[in-house]
Amino acid sequence: MLEFIIQNNIVCHAVEAMLFASVACAILSVIITQVQISSIGFTMAHAAFAGAALGMFLSLNPTVCSIVAGVSVAFLIGPLSDKARLSPDTSLGLLFGICMAVAIFFIAYMQTLGQGFSAMGLLFGDVISLYREEVYLLAAICIVAIAFIVVLYKEITAIIFDKRIAESVGIRVKPVYYAMLFVIALTVALCLPIIGGLLLYVWLVTPAAIALQFCNRLSAMFVVAPTVAAVISISGALVGLEYSLPVAPLTAVLFAVVFIAGVLLSPRRRITFRKI
Amino acid sequence: MAPSDLIIRLENVYTAYEGADRPTLTDISLSVGKGEFVVIGGPNGAGKTTLLETINGTLPITHGKAIVCGQDVRGDGVQVRCRVGYLLQNFAFDPLTPFTVEEVVLMGRYGTIGLFRKPGKEDYEAVQKTLQLLGIEDLATRPIGQLSGGQQQKVLMAQNLARNPEVLLLDEPFSNLDMFAREEINRLLARLVRSGITVLIVSHAFDDLPDGPVRVVVMQEGTIVVSRECSPGEVEQVVRSAGKGASHA
Repeated sequence: MLEFIIQNNIVCHAVEAMLFASVACAILSVIITQVQISSIGFTMAHAAFAGAALGMFLSLNPTVCSIVAGVSVAFLIGPLSDKARLSPDTSLGLLFGICMAVAIFFIAYMQTLGQGFSAMGLLFGDVISLYREEVYLLAAICIVAIAFIVVLYKEITAIIFDKRIAESVGIRVKPVYYAMLFVIALTVALCLPIIGGLLLYVWLVTPAAIALQFCNRLSAMFVVAPTVAAVISISGALVGLEYSLPVAPLTAVLFAVVFIAGVLLSPRRRITFRKI
Repeated sequence: MAPSDLIIRLENVYTAYEGADRPTLTDISLSVGKGEFVVIGGPNGAGKTTLLETINGTLPITHGKAIVCGQDVRGDGVQVRCRVGYLLQNFAFDPLTPFTVEEVVLMGRYGTIGLFRKPGKEDYEAVQKTLQLLGIEDLATRPIGQLSGGQQQKVLMAQNLARNPEVLLLDEPFSNLDMFAREEINRLLARLVRSGITVLIVSHAFDDLPDGPVRVVVMQEGTIVVSRECSPGEVEQVVRSAGKGASHA
C-alpha cells in the first residue's frame, strides 16, 4: 500500500502494520480509558497471548486461537462475577493470572520438548517477518474500529458518559457494550504478533491519556488519539529499523516520552493549577 | 379514575436486584393519572429509588404487572424509557469529563432518535429550547465537569426534558441545589404538571413543594404503607405519621 513512498518491502510492511495497529488501538483506547475498562483490556491482551501460545503448541493458527481466547475472556467476566459472587475486579485478577499461567506453561513445556520455540515475538512483538496478508488483516481491523465508532457514535458516547444514564435515556447498553468488548478482543488478537502481549497495553491506554491532556471534547479525542499514535508508531518503526533497535519496545518508550511531555504542556492542567 | 387516564399502573409488583435472595419491592400496587404530582417519602432503604427504577424498567419485575405510558414494562423497558425521564440521585462529574453541556442534553434524545441514526435539526432545536427553559443556554459550550453541583443537576434535568417525556421521575432533585435554584425548579415542575406531565419525586425536603394537589406515597421496607392526596403543606405531616405508625406496629 505504501510502496510508492517506501521502496524496501520489509520497512514498508512494518510501517503499514504499525500504522494500522496504532490507529485501531488508539481509537479503542479512548473507549477503554473513558469507560474505565482498562483492566479488561489488560486481561484480554494476556488472554490473547495465552491463546496464541496454546495455538502454537497444538499447531493451530495462533491468530484464530488468540481471537477465541480474547473474546472468551471478555464474555466470561460478567458471568464469573455473578456465579462466583466476586467483584469484577477480582474476576479480572483471577482470569489474568490464569491466562499468564497458561501462556507460560505452554511456552516452557515446548522449550522442554526441544521444539525451539521462542516466545520473544509474542512477548515483545515482531514487525520484521510480516506477510502481506497479515498487513491486510490489520488494515481490515483498523477499518472495523473506525466504522464501529462512526456507526455507533451516539450509543458509545452515552455509555462513556455514564452507563446508568445511557440506559435511562433508552439506549440498549448491553448489546453495545458487548460489541465494544468484541471489537477490542479482535483488535488485541490481531495486533498481538506485531506489538507483543506485554506491550499491547501501552497502545490501548497511552494514546487516549495523551489526547486527554489537550482535548475538552470526546469527538476531538477520537481524532487526536489515533493521529498521535500513528505519528509515534511510524516514527518508532522507521527509527527502529534504521538503527536495528527493537521496534515495539522503542515505540512504547516514545509513547511514554510524549505522554510526559503532554502532561507538562497540557493547557487543561494549567487551568486546574490556576484554580487551586 | 378511568384506566385510560392512568399513565402508571402497577399491580402486585415484586422486584429483585440481580443475585439478591429476596425481593426489594413486595406487592406494590399503584395507579397514577396523567398530570399528577406524586411525592414519594419514607426512611432510607425503604425502596423509593427501587420503585422509580421499576417504573422506568431498569430493574427486572419478578412478579406482577406494570404498565407505563400504555406499554408493558416487562415487555420492552427501552420503549418505556424513551417516554419517561429519570433524574438519578447524587451525580458529580470529574472536572476532566470530556462532554459539553450541549452534548449531555442532546444525549437525552438518543433513545428516541434510534439505532444507527444521527441527531437531526429538530433534535438540536429541542436541546436549545430546553436549555432556554432552564435558563442555562449560556452554559451550552462549557464542559459539564467544570460546573457547580447545582448547575450539573440542572443540566441533567434538561437532558431528561429534552425528549419531551410523559412521565418525569426525580430522585432527590434538590440535593445539590441552593434555595434560589430550588424555587426555580419548583416553579418549573408546577408548569410541567399543568401542561399534563406526570411527576414522581423522591425527596426528604417537603417545605417548598409546588402549589396544587399532591399525592403522597410513603414506603416502608419495600412496600407502600400510605398513598393519598393532600395539600403541599400536609405532606411532611403525612410522611411523619406514617413513619411513626410503622415503627409502633
